[in-house]
Amino acid sequence: MASQSGLRTRKPYRRDETILAFAFIVPIIVIMGGLVFGPLVNTVVDSFYRIDPMQPGEPFIGLKNYTRLIADGDVQTSWANSAFYVVLAVVAETLIGLGMALLLNRVRLGRKWLLAIAVLPWCLPPVVNAIVWMWIYHPNYGLLNQVLMSLGVINEAVVWSNDRIGGLVMVTLVHVWRMAPLTAIILLAALQSVPGELYEAAKLDGAGPLRSFQQVTLPLISGGLAIALSQSTVFAFNLFDEAWIMGGASLGTRSVIIQTYLSAFQDLRFSYGMALSLLAMIASLLVSLIYVAKVSRDTRMG
Amino acid sequence: MSWKAVSNPILSIAKAFAVLLLVIWSLGPIYWAFATSVTPSNEIISKSLRLWPAHATLEHYAKLLGAASTAHGNEVQSVWPQFRAAMINSIVTSGLATIVTVAIAAFGAYAFVRLRFPGRNILFALVVATMAIPAYTVMIPLYRLMISLNLIDTYLGITLIYVSAFLPLALWLMRTVYEAMPLSLEEAAWLDGAGRLYTLVAIVLPLAAPGLIAAAILTFLNAWGQFIVPLVFSPTLASKSLTVLIPEFATRSNIDYGLMNAAGILAIIPPVALVIFLNRYLVSGLMAGAQK
Repeated sequence: MASQSGLRTRKPYRRDETILAFAFIVPIIVIMGGLVFGPLVNTVVDSFYRIDPMQPGEPFIGLKNYTRLIADGDVQTSWANSAFYVVLAVVAETLIGLGMALLLNRVRLGRKWLLAIAVLPWCLPPVVNAIVWMWIYHPNYGLLNQVLMSLGVINEAVVWSNDRIGGLVMVTLVHVWRMAPLTAIILLAALQSVPGELYEAAKLDGAGPLRSFQQVTLPLISGGLAIALSQSTVFAFNLFDEAWIMGGASLGTRSVIIQTYLSAFQDLRFSYGMALSLLAMIASLLVSLIYVAKVSRDTRMG
Repeated sequence: MSWKAVSNPILSIAKAFAVLLLVIWSLGPIYWAFATSVTPSNEIISKSLRLWPAHATLEHYAKLLGAASTAHGNEVQSVWPQFRAAMINSIVTSGLATIVTVAIAAFGAYAFVRLRFPGRNILFALVVATMAIPAYTVMIPLYRLMISLNLIDTYLGITLIYVSAFLPLALWLMRTVYEAMPLSLEEAAWLDGAGRLYTLVAIVLPLAAPGLIAAAILTFLNAWGQFIVPLVFSPTLASKSLTVLIPEFATRSNIDYGLMNAAGILAIIPPVALVIFLNRYLVSGLMAGAQK
């Protein structure tokens, strides 16, 4: 589309058309410029200053915010927690989402309703999800322990948040419950664009279900997979709501974004928080770029 | 459809089992929240598994929606005034954000698709690229900006932040909608002497209605579920949302799970209604939004 219109744009711009277009996009320029791009530039610049409402003056301090961040033990822990969230959430969302998408693609009867049911968790406020799951995890009266005990999987109630890994897994599971449907929808859209004849051809070649999935389905949905992986990564990097409701400020479940929030709005170290939020943004962009680059290279080779 | 599995009974059973698993996974927690919300307080603290309370009750909803109530013989102050204020705040900010976002996206995306003007592609790329930037990155300078503009704890401030966060997705969605529309309809109207603005409002927008609805649903759901923006920008009930108020019902010593689940169930009524009644638009919007 872009290249098509590119060929036609040799003609000079028409004045009335340009005026109308700018009338349409002025609100976009004002809002995005004022509330996103301006603050983004601000974040970059201010991260080299000491901006701290509790201290006088706003001196230039160069990279000091960044060097302090590297040495800060709490910040290191929050990076480790976020890395845990990202790895576990991306793997789980991709597997569960792929399973849902393959299933939805094969269901014909009542598919519309099954799709609605599958998407529902994504539509709910994450805060409510976290409260509902906290209740499910409750050691004494929670559904999880009661079901596991009545099935005989465990003999006595388990306090799931007792150790650090347990707390992190609990938060991740709530996040995965909400985000897996998005992966499923993205992959379902990709699956639906795979022409059925390719499966017929694979079958004629004697390919079983697994080989036909590997050699027909997977290469053709790799574009969708790259998008799904980047989405999952960015959202898991920005995990805040679920961890905040379930763990509050506790270090065991503190994500990088919670650390940013605490630095800025509880310790009132604004520019320190800005430097951290920039690093978090760069990290999540880099990881998603890796998927896009890797998947697009694999596809070209395959 | 992939390899023909319909004739294989084992695969059919496996498929039915998978469908059941999906339904339990998605609806189970919501069902459990609902069951808890109608369970009397003394039954909630029971160690045996019970999927539906022996004596269903509306006491938790009465606490939320009613006047003063009693617990253990003591009069308890009603949370209804707070709950009502937060509910109104959530409805107003999400509704305003949806209307403003969709209106701006409807006209803006049209300009990006059909009108030629200098800087068109770079501008669109810049706006869409912000989808990859987490809103949290700009929150601290935004906070200082909102303080200097006196927009902290106001509907206008919250709405503007929501619009800036959700506009890129709506623009992206509306661009794919306009791109899929045949140009011939507009050209016919122009030949009849209709102006560009008239053509857009009278011919293009009605045809784009499904796309506009999809963009509206996605924006509303995102705004309705927002937590960190109201947490930072809505310190009081002047603009505090339900998502910020509900967790405050839990005190350090005691979490009233009956009350919290009842509040949660009330808070998910709008999203659930959207999924039930407008699911078609929601799914098509998500799919269009996902294809790049």
